[in-house]
Amino acid sequence: MNDPDFEMEARLRDLAGRSATPPLPPEMADLPWSVQRDEPKTEAFRFLPALRHAAGGAGRGVFTLARLGATLAIAGSLLIVLGQVRGGDPNTGKVIILPQPTPRASAAAAPGGGPEVVILPTSGVVDDVMASYINGGIQRAESDGAVAVIVQLDTPGGSLASMNSIVSSLNASIPTIVWVGPSGAMAASAGTFITLAANLDYMAPSTSIGAASPVTAGGGDIAAQYGQTEAAKVLSIAVTTIRGIAQEHHPQAVDWAASTVQAATSYTPQEALAAHGINGVASSLDEVLAQADGQVVTVKGAQVTVHTKGATLVTVNEDPIQLVLHTLDDPNIAFILLVLGVLCVLVEFFHPTLLVGLLGALSLALSFYGAGSLPLNVLGVILVVLGIGMLAVEPAVPSHGLLTVGGVACFIVGAVAFYGSPGPYLPSVSVAWPIILTSAGLASLYGLVFVRTVLQMRHIAVPAGSGMVGTVVLVGAIGEVRQDLDPVGSIYVARESWTAKLEGSGSAPRGSKVKVVRQEGLTLIVERLPGDS
Amino acid sequence: MSDRSSPDRERGMFAKEAYLHAEPIRSAARPAALRDRTYDREFADAIAGELVVAYRLAGYILADAVEAQDAVQEASVRSWRGWPNLREHDKFHSWFSQILVNVCRTRLRQRARHRTLNIDEVDVESGDPFKAALAADTVGRALSVLSPELRIVVVLRYWGEFSLAQIADRLRIPIGTVKSRHHAALQALRRRIGPVEGGIR
Repeated sequence: MNDPDFEMEARLRDLAGRSATPPLPPEMADLPWSVQRDEPKTEAFRFLPALRHAAGGAGRGVFTLARLGATLAIAGSLLIVLGQVRGGDPNTGKVIILPQPTPRASAAAAPGGGPEVVILPTSGVVDDVMASYINGGIQRAESDGAVAVIVQLDTPGGSLASMNSIVSSLNASIPTIVWVGPSGAMAASAGTFITLAANLDYMAPSTSIGAASPVTAGGGDIAAQYGQTEAAKVLSIAVTTIRGIAQEHHPQAVDWAASTVQAATSYTPQEALAAHGINGVASSLDEVLAQADGQVVTVKGAQVTVHTKGATLVTVNEDPIQLVLHTLDDPNIAFILLVLGVLCVLVEFFHPTLLVGLLGALSLALSFYGAGSLPLNVLGVILVVLGIGMLAVEPAVPSHGLLTVGGVACFIVGAVAFYGSPGPYLPSVSVAWPIILTSAGLASLYGLVFVRTVLQMRHIAVPAGSGMVGTVVLVGAIGEVRQDLDPVGSIYVARESWTAKLEGSGSAPRGSKVKVVRQEGLTLIVERLPGDS
Repeated sequence: MSDRSSPDRERGMFAKEAYLHAEPIRSAARPAALRDRTYDREFADAIAGELVVAYRLAGYILADAVEAQDAVQEASVRSWRGWPNLREHDKFHSWFSQILVNVCRTRLRQRARHRTLNIDEVDVESGDPFKAALAADTVGRALSVLSPELRIVVVLRYWGEFSLAQIADRLRIPIGTVKSRHHAALQALRRRIGPVEGGIR
């Protein structure tokens, strides 16, 4: 026969015929098939395992949610405490922490008790922090006996409540001066109200005031066009407010002031001066002092002449907490905090570590705290969160990159629309482009690298040789015999039934206690406890 | 060796997978027999007759005694879990060997992913009876070049002494495929052994 296949077949048959059949290890040949099936004893409790199984699944979900809730609660309460410590209630004017007392410049720099003028430099969004800072600074100036207080203003606007608080603070027992400066500064939206609310107001050259509300194309009256909408109501209230404020210190400029709200016009210092909206143009604080000197103002109903000539300037800065909290209002920082917060919370979902979730919740809370003074656009926020979510699930749900593309698009559109149209008080802000692009990159990197890594880690196989999936029974654990060890049987240990083999010879009856000596594969080698019969 | 009479089950991947990886039905309405100890004794009897052959097959498929034990155990547990769903208990043999082959195939593939081990290089002194038996013979050593699928066919054919039709049934593949695999395996072995050891002619 010349068939090579046939020849090979013969050789294989020969080899197989000579191959021994090794006996199966005895403990495997005699597996106790009945022991592992611990069914409930009676019919009545048959539903229990299913119930427990369901409860386990639900329990895990509830646990995750509860933990997230706890995290948010901790972050929230932290924030409340922070808010309390920071500046008290701007409406009641009660200040818990006063602005840092500056080095006692009043005594040192003004020997002989010369006149002292307190400077309060501000910048950024009008918010609770700025309100409590100005409030505290003016109170301090009053108690120190300063002849006047100057608020150096540079703001795009801010929240109504804070603005009202500042306006009422400016109605102090000493003359108050607002200087919009230095050059390049602006007093937009809420800043316009604040500027007009001071006894005297000055602007540096190349600054601007006004543009306090959104307008329709053509600059028409928004209230007239939209009728009795909420926007129109807000606008008319704002007009009334600014008329009232202007009436007090700049009676000739009431209509001009109203135009900053109604027509959303902004003005140069020269235009404002021509309309009698401000008292003068001053390029520096010294010029402010020089121009203010000798002016007669109404303070608490009394006519007071301002004496600022040769006065000592005392600058009161924001305290560190105020500085930090005030920074949160920055439109870019609020946005970054939101992105980081969402990313961290997602990390918590994919890879639970309490710390990251806490950080995420905290930065989310801080972000919304900061955004409280900003014209947050809900749609923008939703789009950003949705975008990040899409980027994060991309590795888990194969979509061939569609989710990534959609996520990035969603994210960028959301980020551009993150801040909506400003109201009469709110600033007109947006997120800077470099920040949008950087954070979009970060978010997609997060989805591509982090989530993918975590998902891969979950699929890493248990190292070969560890023998089983579940726990390893500790040597020395005490178990109870379930099926007589003779020498192989089963024991109940570590909340599981195990095949067990008694070391040496002999047997152990059901119910007796044994100690685990070692583990061989899925079989535990046990010995009898000395005291047990 | 009771053979499976062709089951009139719908053809296709899913039916096959569902059958071979039969899991117990997780519902409250489990058969009353499940809670009966005699029920398990029936299974224990059924499996007792299989273990020796299963161990031999697994041993020569995997060429490793420890792995073979694991495979037999895994197949036992899997069949035990699927036992309540097995309607015709007289087909246990056929069913069990299918499970065993699946387990072995999975293990072979996993092993291929992790490391490549030539039987020539294996330490025979470990006392592994399967390794020893295979390493002592040229053809046995050559078996290591076969892919899992080919190797399974060869072992079932010669060590299990299954007919090609039976193999087709165990593997749930057409008999033509078994034939072509068988032929491919023999060719591969011949290539491996080479003309030097051309053998009896």
